[in-house]
Amino acid sequence: MPQGDHIELHQKRHGRRLDYEERKRKREAREVHKRSKDARKLLGAKGKRFAKKRYAEKAQMKKTLKMHDESTSRQKADDNVQEGALPPYLLDRDQTQRAKVLSNTIKQKRKEKAGKWDVPLPKVRPVAEEEMFKVLRTGKRKTKQWKRMVTKATFVGAGFTRKPPKYERFIRPTGLRFTKAHVTHPELKCTFNLDIISVKKNPNGPMYTSLGVMTRGTIIEVNVSELGLVTPAGKVVWGKYAQVTNNPENDGCINAVLLV
Amino acid sequence: MVQYNFKKITVVPPGKDFIDIILSRTQRQTPTVVHKGYAISRIRQFYMRKVRYSQQNFYEKLSTIIDEFPRLDDIHPFYGDLLHVLYNKDHYKLALGQINTARNIIAKISKDYLRLLKYGDSLYRCKCLKVAALGRMCTVVKRISPSLAYLEQIRQHMARLPSIDPNTRTVLICGYPNVGKSSFMNKVTRADVDVQPYAFTTKSLFVGHTDYKYLRYQVIDTPGILDRPFEDRNIIEMCSITALAHLRAAVLFFLDISGSCGYSIAQQAALFHSIKSLFMNKPLVIVCNKTDLQPLEGLSEDDMKLVMEMKAEAMKTITQAGDPNEEGVLLTMSTLTDDGVMAVKNAACERLLEQRVDVKMKSKKMVDCLNRFHVAVPKPRDNKERPVCIPPAVLEARANDAAKQKKQLEKDLEQENGGAGVYSASLKKHYMLANDEWKEDILPEILDGHNVADFLDPDILERCEELEREEGLRLEEQAAQDAFEIDGHELTDEQKEILSQIRKKKALLIQEHRMKKRTAESRPIVPRKFDKDRKFTTNRMGRQLSSMGVDPSAAIARSQSRGRKRERSLSRAAANADAMEVDGQQSNKKLRLGSRSRSRSRAPEEVVPGEGFKDSEQKKKAIKKAKDATKKRNKDARRGEADRVIPTLKPKHLFSGKRTLGKTSRR
Repeated sequence: MPQGDHIELHQKRHGRRLDYEERKRKREAREVHKRSKDARKLLGAKGKRFAKKRYAEKAQMKKTLKMHDESTSRQKADDNVQEGALPPYLLDRDQTQRAKVLSNTIKQKRKEKAGKWDVPLPKVRPVAEEEMFKVLRTGKRKTKQWKRMVTKATFVGAGFTRKPPKYERFIRPTGLRFTKAHVTHPELKCTFNLDIISVKKNPNGPMYTSLGVMTRGTIIEVNVSELGLVTPAGKVVWGKYAQVTNNPENDGCINAVLLV
Repeated sequence: MVQYNFKKITVVPPGKDFIDIILSRTQRQTPTVVHKGYAISRIRQFYMRKVRYSQQNFYEKLSTIIDEFPRLDDIHPFYGDLLHVLYNKDHYKLALGQINTARNIIAKISKDYLRLLKYGDSLYRCKCLKVAALGRMCTVVKRISPSLAYLEQIRQHMARLPSIDPNTRTVLICGYPNVGKSSFMNKVTRADVDVQPYAFTTKSLFVGHTDYKYLRYQVIDTPGILDRPFEDRNIIEMCSITALAHLRAAVLFFLDISGSCGYSIAQQAALFHSIKSLFMNKPLVIVCNKTDLQPLEGLSEDDMKLVMEMKAEAMKTITQAGDPNEEGVLLTMSTLTDDGVMAVKNAACERLLEQRVDVKMKSKKMVDCLNRFHVAVPKPRDNKERPVCIPPAVLEARANDAAKQKKQLEKDLEQENGGAGVYSASLKKHYMLANDEWKEDILPEILDGHNVADFLDPDILERCEELEREEGLRLEEQAAQDAFEIDGHELTDEQKEILSQIRKKKALLIQEHRMKKRTAESRPIVPRKFDKDRKFTTNRMGRQLSSMGVDPSAAIARSQSRGRKRERSLSRAAANADAMEVDGQQSNKKLRLGSRSRSRSRAPEEVVPGEGFKDSEQKKKAIKKAKDATKKRNKDARRGEADRVIPTLKPKHLFSGKRTLGKTSRR
């Protein structure tokens, strides 16, 4: 016992006060009332926090109770049914398998040609031009209105230089340029912070694709060399497509799902 | 001088509370109301403020943690090592490093999101960005919550470390477990250390204080040390080793010569020799304890030899030049019987003091001081006596003074006659009587049937008469005054009636005057509005004036006349001109004006083309209407039709506060 522990020392020497147990019991008994009073009285953010904490506690309590119940009551053993198993009455109607298995690269090439992918977000909300661009007034009298500023997150290549302001129709502000994305591998179920290589397709139109605008549903190409993915031929894959799943301009970051 | 007080470190909240504190503070201290109708710059500013404020708070809180926890490299090596032994330096540094990283990450997040907020174009977007920013900051803090918990535990432990000052005079007690270190500590100081008959009762450093030669000494009790390799020692033993290694103290090495602690003298000697290097340059005292069980003289040959070896080793620590003083190196005592305890303490303190003075004298700082002052002591050149020379006049004066001061006081008398309680001072001593012998006589209270006190003053009767006379005079004066006041009642009934009439009239006049003044603001013309019952008529005035004996005709004429009109007729001017003709100086200008055609000045009702009136009739009407409309307004002194001001009727400054001298009229 270190020197500063006066309370412990005192307890060791003289014991606790005589009504210690009684007081403790009473305090514990009062605790419930105090908590219910709090639950009724707390307002605003404090009340919210309290309710959340209480809810979590209660849920945990229910779970533990149930766990104890389960151990006593009998349960039917659930057979491990495999994914995609057919019920017996459908067994004879077997699905036709494709005879030929195309290689992954060919598949991807075909898809690319068609410009269509099997993507996690097949439909996106169309973005109007007014939302996408902000009109800048230029000229000495601010009468000209041919300049546009992109209000969404954009990607510009590494060696990008702006055009002279006189000819620059679309401005992509530096504050909204992104170079990295949080990419989730759907099978590995983990997320990596990867470099963006290019914007492959923006569902809102080819113009946005060429501008490098990233909105929800955009297909981007990311640098996956860190993940160490290998093609069937044994080459290391370094570029892979991913689809943006959030609104980057609202969240301040880009979240994407790798297309595999 | 660095103070080693770890009690003042602020509490480190656990990660969850940390987040709650910051977020609720942000909510409380920043504005909460924003609407999408606001200008976008205002919305942006609203959310940017929130982000920035949270970041600042995080930064402040994390900074206090980083600043307040001591950096092990900066503090005294004793504390540095002690903290390393207790908490593991690497872990400690890692935890603080994580806090520092989190602080930087949060700053970076805030910077990024503030930049993004500048491009926010709607309330929704700004809000989303704010939520994301705060969320990310909180995640960072959540991730360092194990470090925070660790630091909080360390803080609590550190606050309870004994406050040892590494630089002061210190006596350090060490030895095997259970040799009586703590018992000695309890004897010498008031530290109240737990003493139990088993090994390792003391598990950490304990500090107490004791006095020697009016100086305060810090006594440190250390846990017992076992004789084993350095790497095998546990944390408890390492505390002792740290103290031994870093504190410049007098070391008391305790030896249990009875062997009742469970270790033989040979084992204890082995320990002594293995940690010998830690005793370098420190005054070392070997204390043979428990002499009540086994006196030192009764030891066997081998044991005695071991003890003597140790003593010889301890002698080496004496740095004195010349003959090493043997006493105070090997001492015996018994904490049970209190035998030799004080001797041990005194020896240790004495030797420590000597050593410290020695060191101080050798230090460079001392040399700097010493060469500045010089005490001159004259050397005797021969055997001649040279006593102090005092002039005889001074000696005489001194003797006189001594004699003069001998004035006998009552106090001295008391001392002479048996002291307080026995001696009683005589009050009659200083009586001034015709004959000194009468002083001690007894004074009777009643003599010949009379109270003696009544006859103390010989002319008491005269005094009494004088008093009565005075009283009579005062009564007369009072009566005269009363009579004068009663005079008012002497009026006849007739006179009284007249007086009351006069007073009534006066009061009425004053009242009327006041009303008039109040209503018309003491202007001569009374508007009809304020004269509803037609009191202020000319007829009435005439009557009143004539009743007062004044001819009212002139006054009536004046009040009925309209005053001079602002007319444009030339008649009056002409009259003036006629008057001036007397001088024979015709003003050319006047003449010219008079001969001008009508076109120069028109009557106001004359229609000018372009004014929009049909004829002068219509214009006249319009002018009249306009005049009527403004008449009332002008009377009420309004600026225009929009002037609907109700002035302050009772200005506060005129009706509040005390009216001291001359404050009624200007306040």
